[in-house]
Amino acid sequence: MFLTGRVRVASVDGGVNPPGEIALKDSRAKADPAVAGCRVVAISPDGGPPIDLKNPWLAAILSWLLPGLGQIYQGRSFKGGLFMGTILGTFLAGLFMGGGKVVYASWRPGEVRWPYVCQAAAGLVAMPAVIQSMGLQGSSREPPLGTFMAPPLGPGQFVSVRYADQLAATDPDIAPDDFFDKPPLRQFKGDELSLWHRRLGRWFEIGTLYTMLAGMLNILVVYDALSGPLGMPTDEDRRKGANGK
Amino acid sequence: MMPLANTIPGLVFGLPLILLASFVFAATHHESPERIRDATIHWVVWLVGILGIVLAIVAVLGWLV
Repeated sequence: MFLTGRVRVASVDGGVNPPGEIALKDSRAKADPAVAGCRVVAISPDGGPPIDLKNPWLAAILSWLLPGLGQIYQGRSFKGGLFMGTILGTFLAGLFMGGGKVVYASWRPGEVRWPYVCQAAAGLVAMPAVIQSMGLQGSSREPPLGTFMAPPLGPGQFVSVRYADQLAATDPDIAPDDFFDKPPLRQFKGDELSLWHRRLGRWFEIGTLYTMLAGMLNILVVYDALSGPLGMPTDEDRRKGANGK
Repeated sequence: MMPLANTIPGLVFGLPLILLASFVFAATHHESPERIRDATIHWVVWLVGILGIVLAIVAVLGWLV
């Protein structure tokens, strides 16, 4: 049972409540409504003091928004900082390797971007893609943040004149005559995703893999903030905790 | 993009991911820095070993066919 390590006790005190005793209190807590509403702690799998999870759901949301932020909120700054550095670092490295093009959201029929489901688990850092996609599909036909994390244009897709001009000015593979003039909009002639693949080659796939893995691993980090460490203390750890070593 | 990096075998780009996955897996199972470090090394060895065996099998099959 993966929630075995999560218990409710009246106080958080490693010296008074070694892991073994806390486990006993857990079984009592299920039947005793008097301890309901107490602070939620998790047993340390390494024989250390109990971990105060504070508000676990808030911590989980914080960890999703910014990897490791939930752990920092719980006072586990070392782990939180490491999670933040490694997961955000990997996500940004992937974004860089993919030329800034690998994180985008697209739900157009025939061009659904499934990797974004994993990338979105990295939190706020992947959220501009949703804003961009909604902007491009909306009435303005223009991503509000420019070309950053904007989905690729498909053949025949309509965009605003301003966005078409911006693409022609910034994208080395797109020229002004790649659009039909259809006032008040412009219609793209080519397939931007193919242009990205041709220009980036394997970097598109490597960047996608890095950003996807960063997001998927953040799910573990969110769970760690919600329920504490997944590992269970060994018998030796319990003995050490009970002896105060 | 990055002409020098274009000459690096694609396999090399998997190594940081193995390290990252091992670290996150270890850190979500332990709390003390020492145990996280030991578990990270443990998982890196296992992942590299398993993936190395898979790679070797694929290489042998590719060589035979």
